[in-house]
Amino acid sequence: MKKGLIQATDAFERVVHWSLALSCLLLCITGLGMMFHSFNFIGDMMGGLRSLKYVHNFGGLFFGVALYFTIRMWWKEAGVFSFPEDIEWIKAAGGYLWHVDKVPEVGKYNPGQKAFFLVVAGFGAVMVLTGLIMWFPLSFPAGLVRWMFVLHALGFVTIFAFFFIHLYLGTIGSPGSAPAMFSGWVTRAWVKKQHPKWLHEMEEHGTLIVSGEEKKSHGHG
Amino acid sequence: MKTELIKVIDLSRCTACRGCQVACKQWNELPASKTKNWGSYQNPEGLEWNTWTLIRFQEYVDQKGTLKWLFRKDGCMHCTDAACMKVCPSGALYRTDFGTVGVNSALCIGCKECISACPFDIPRYNSKTDKITKCDLCESRLAAGTPPACVLSCPTGALQIGPKDAMIKKAYKRAKELGGDASVYGDKFVDGTHVIYVLPEKVDVYEKLPESPSVPLSIIVWKDLLKPLSLLAAGGVLAGSFLHYIIHGPKTPDEDNQ
Repeated sequence: MKKGLIQATDAFERVVHWSLALSCLLLCITGLGMMFHSFNFIGDMMGGLRSLKYVHNFGGLFFGVALYFTIRMWWKEAGVFSFPEDIEWIKAAGGYLWHVDKVPEVGKYNPGQKAFFLVVAGFGAVMVLTGLIMWFPLSFPAGLVRWMFVLHALGFVTIFAFFFIHLYLGTIGSPGSAPAMFSGWVTRAWVKKQHPKWLHEMEEHGTLIVSGEEKKSHGHG
Repeated sequence: MKTELIKVIDLSRCTACRGCQVACKQWNELPASKTKNWGSYQNPEGLEWNTWTLIRFQEYVDQKGTLKWLFRKDGCMHCTDAACMKVCPSGALYRTDFGTVGVNSALCIGCKECISACPFDIPRYNSKTDKITKCDLCESRLAAGTPPACVLSCPTGALQIGPKDAMIKKAYKRAKELGGDASVYGDKFVDGTHVIYVLPEKVDVYEKLPESPSVPLSIIVWKDLLKPLSLLAAGGVLAGSFLHYIIHGPKTPDEDNQ
């Protein structure tokens, strides 16, 4: 490995992230297969729309478990806004939308990432809950089940749109970010640009792990 | 579309012989269920996966204190604006050449969404086959130019089928003949049903018959608003990301910052 890289995520984080991400993607694709007649063909790849239904339903259970670990793992870091620095960052839109001379320094997660996390956590939970009711609709009043469809669709609208933002900002929109979720190692320049406060924090607390340097590992809570 | 058909159920002529109920089972090869006496001639108690039509028996005391025994043939109304078709993900529920709502059982995936969506509570679920069932107004018979089994069996003329306009006219004529509280039910909502009633009593008298049924608001929000919005929003985000990339540019780490 190249020397001087900084560890941004540990293996557990990456496994949880990809469990959630891939199951979410599978659910979006299979969900589209049922939502639009013109996407019914997606079912053909799975041996028919009925099989697709089962892939979607049981995939949803897997997603639910992954979501539990995601929320437990990232809630403290990404689920809570810190004032006033997050407000400053939001006012500047993180320097993403217009020119900002000095973007307010952010820690491990910027408010945009926190918002994304909260949307996934909140609507993800809604999707699991409404999905379970839709799975067994005859056990609930029809009037309730109908609104579960609405919430499920609303969750899809939101998560699907946010997914593409996440994809863009995790790849070409913010070069150097993607390795954080593949190898877990990112460049110091990237951390300095994206999460300068986090870098200072890790340096202060002695939790910074740099490749090629002797370091005590930091476990995951 | 071939001629749009409407079946008229003139409840003033129904004697509750239940010939239609039996004929329906016979033509559609639906097995009987083991039923129990629950204190009514209405048997079985409600629609089932193997009972697509049912005569409902209702004891009703009118304002003058007269006891009336009301009979109502229950079953699919074959809506024009059909909530079940709107939600069906596989196209198992479809519009037939006669304007009615047909069922292609082979396509049904047993998601039960139609059961929740139907304003008349008609579709039923067969757990053995994991499919839903409902009256298809004997589409196979209609295609052969013959009346549905229930209509054929009806000895009193309470059930009749024919071209849409003629049947609506006939129904209104009959309601006028009956006078009093008699009315026509079905042509004024969900863009018109393909099964319409001539009701001798006021609509709200009949059990399990919604006064002004419609496609539920939730289904409209879901299918007409959120469904297209899901692709529009995703498309908007993709377009926005692309514009961001070519106008503002990505957020790249500073080169000489190592």
